[in-house]
Amino acid sequence: MAERPAPRFHHISSAVVSALPAQVEAVLARIGEMPDTEVHRVENGKIVIVLEGSSTGVIGDRLAAIGLIDGVLSANMVFEQIEDLETLDDPGVIP
Amino acid sequence: MTLSRREMLKAQAASVAALAANMSVPAEAQPVSGGVDTLQIKWSKAPCRFCGTGCGVMVGVKEGRVIATHGDMKADVNRGLNCIKGYFLSKIMYGSDRLTQPLLRKKNGVYAKDGEFTPVSWAEAFDTMAAKAKETLKAKGPTALGMFGSGQWTIFEGYAATKLMRAGFRSNNLDPNARHCMASAAYAFMRTFGMDEPMGCYDDFEHADAFVLWGSNMAEMHPILWTRVTDRRLGQPHVKVAVLSTFTHRSSDLADIPIVFKPGTDLAILNYIANHIISTGRVNKDFVEKHTTFVKGATDIGYGLRPDDPREVKARKAADPAATTPSDFEAYAAFVKDYTLEKVSALTGVEPGFLQQLAELYADPKRKVVSFWTMGFNQHVRGVWANQLVYNLHLLTGKISEPGNSPFSLTGQPSACGTAREVGTFAHRLPADMTVTNPEHRKHTEEIWRVPNGIIPEKPGYHAVEQDRMLKDGKLNFYWIQVNNNLQAAPNSSNETYPGYRNPENFVVVSDAYPTVTAMAADLILPAAMWVEKEGAYGNAERRTHVWHQLVNAPGEARSDLWQLMEFSKRFTTDEVWPAEILDANPNYRGKTLFDVLYRNGNVDKFALSEISPDYENQESKDFGFYVHKGLFEEYATFGRGHGHDLGPYELYHEVRGLRWPVVDGKETLWRYREGLDPYVQPGKGVEFYGNKDGKARIIAVPYEPPAESPDAEYDLWLVTGRVLEHWHSGSMTMRVPELYKAFPGARCFMHPEDARKRGLNQGAEITVISRRGEMRTRVETRGRNRMPPGVVFVPWFDASQLINKTTLDATDPISKQTDFKKCAVKIVPVSG
Repeated sequence: MAERPAPRFHHISSAVVSALPAQVEAVLARIGEMPDTEVHRVENGKIVIVLEGSSTGVIGDRLAAIGLIDGVLSANMVFEQIEDLETLDDPGVIP
Repeated sequence: MTLSRREMLKAQAASVAALAANMSVPAEAQPVSGGVDTLQIKWSKAPCRFCGTGCGVMVGVKEGRVIATHGDMKADVNRGLNCIKGYFLSKIMYGSDRLTQPLLRKKNGVYAKDGEFTPVSWAEAFDTMAAKAKETLKAKGPTALGMFGSGQWTIFEGYAATKLMRAGFRSNNLDPNARHCMASAAYAFMRTFGMDEPMGCYDDFEHADAFVLWGSNMAEMHPILWTRVTDRRLGQPHVKVAVLSTFTHRSSDLADIPIVFKPGTDLAILNYIANHIISTGRVNKDFVEKHTTFVKGATDIGYGLRPDDPREVKARKAADPAATTPSDFEAYAAFVKDYTLEKVSALTGVEPGFLQQLAELYADPKRKVVSFWTMGFNQHVRGVWANQLVYNLHLLTGKISEPGNSPFSLTGQPSACGTAREVGTFAHRLPADMTVTNPEHRKHTEEIWRVPNGIIPEKPGYHAVEQDRMLKDGKLNFYWIQVNNNLQAAPNSSNETYPGYRNPENFVVVSDAYPTVTAMAADLILPAAMWVEKEGAYGNAERRTHVWHQLVNAPGEARSDLWQLMEFSKRFTTDEVWPAEILDANPNYRGKTLFDVLYRNGNVDKFALSEISPDYENQESKDFGFYVHKGLFEEYATFGRGHGHDLGPYELYHEVRGLRWPVVDGKETLWRYREGLDPYVQPGKGVEFYGNKDGKARIIAVPYEPPAESPDAEYDLWLVTGRVLEHWHSGSMTMRVPELYKAFPGARCFMHPEDARKRGLNQGAEITVISRRGEMRTRVETRGRNRMPPGVVFVPWFDASQLINKTTLDATDPISKQTDFKKCAVKIVPVSG
């Protein structure tokens, strides 16, 4: 049997989660437990997160789980970048 | 310090999301897809394939395959956001069991009803089909021929189908699955305003001071619209949200006024609110006087069951359920006076305090109110009444047709409005709100279609539930189903749907992309192209018409429903299907094919292939030799232009993210019926409901009447069916996205823990849900997203391996003929062993 090739691409996606203001902290804590998921901004109950993963599926799965956390009102995907893993961690871009 | 490319991309992704979330972002953050260029992805716009919201998505194609989608920043509806179903759009076309060639049931090399599905050519498929259709026409005439279409049809497909059925085969037995989803809404619009579809639009959300959800779980079913509602609520502390339902669900989390009422009693709540508005002196008298009239509706109208059902025999007005008689304000006020707080609280099981707070949202003249509803209202044996009763509240207070004041009927399917309603694919309808029963409307339609006078039959055809009954009874014998999964969707399916499909007298054809349970019960399966495998147009819930290009080719021999309809029409000549007297009077139509008279009619074939954008494929047009989509669109648009349904020129729609009709002088209309906002309102009128000849809307007096079936000692629970976030409708697409399947793999029966305990059931226990009609095995869910009150259970219907519609009752609203999937009686027993 052929060996499954290592994933060549890496997905970087962002999503907006909105939560009941009183439960934002609890929601942030739950998101914090998830792998490859970073919180970038929090403002008025809105949470901007960045999700990374090897496929659309992995990321979507995680977003669906976030959508069902208690206190979450909505969790919607915004942006997705699909990158070649080889160049992804090239250093040297000067901001 | 340097940043890796990964860090840069993450920062950019976060900025774009912040932008979509209306957070302040640095100026340089723009929604660009930098980096994807290296992957050579071609991005094009399209509306989402799933629900009636009508989000704009960008579709990324590489090497002939859709590989990615994301929310379209330029789309007004979703402004770059994409719900979880929409995120997986790129996968719906690539399920491993995609149908790629026609399959005919055969035995010993020939068609046999009890044969095995065998791959055949399109020619053999259509030849067999045409022979069966001709056999049926000859034996029983056009009324034995029928088609079940869809609110997921593109506008072109619905339009081609209505022409083929009504003018080609001369049968009005054409109905869309939208009958199961928003027929009640459509009838109520016509009865109240004389014109279908909402007066407002999604822009209402940002102007409202209160939102009232009447039987709609937007958090799961319309997540993008819900996001706009939650943004408004959280951003403006004075905004209030009321959520009414028969159980607590995800939308209830946001509710300031959470209301769980006993199934069916919403009618009483609505009349109580009207009573509250009147008795506290908050009627907008000027508005009511100038812009409304009052009627009284027939009562005791039955439940749309078979005529010999005792409940129908007993109902006094089952034969004429839509009758109304003129009335006046005083009589109406006296009628609703009965709906006192005490009485309604007792009937509904809702605390008086909540009812009062709810009534005040409507009564307070300073508060702008948006009312939302979907299946809770529409799938209701008194669904038309429920819709009309909420219009009563907006009309009594004048809270209508202006930003933020909006009774808003949401839709489930992407083109329930665009195709089912606007094109008119219901058994009684023609384009632009016209009906087959009106001789003027038929004549006008025949003129636009360029077919002889007298071709379109006058009598409305069989509606969805009636089609199933007539198939079973052997009166409908040739049946073509496109873009829907009716065997899973229809009520009481074991007794009333499946028998008709397998009735030896019938030939059933199903066009689909996947082998749904419906396809597997057919005699011939035709493989369908889906979504961006064809050029298309959808119309969403806010009157927005949105067009897309064909972006990829369909797999194998799969072809669009449009191609199937048009290609099939070539197999019939007018002499075979039209009456001799019509051909005698119109000899120039003799000997022509239906393709010639319906589609090569000088309108539809008017535009050359050279008008198609060279950047995109267009399979049907190349096959037929003219720009089919533009021709169909422009002929169809003739119906509405100048009549309040104006569509813009076709090319324009390829540029924009949809436009809300009426589109007059290139400008869309956001709010109808109000001067200054709607060009159709005559100057000086202020407000004009011009769908009705008198320019006024109707306020109706109708009572609470009980559901068709309520729990009793034996069948002791209410069964409510519905949907979940991850799966859309029957699951024929979402169930094929592995990640969505994993998120919610099998249907569950949501139940109150006490109800479970009383029956000796633990969380996850295997059970049988039994009604008087059938049973279904599933598992108990006492936790999770839906929290049931005692006595009510909820089962989603997306799971083809657990067909809950074996248990539901085929009761319909007698006016709209829409099924009530929300109220029947069941019992639940453990699976032993």
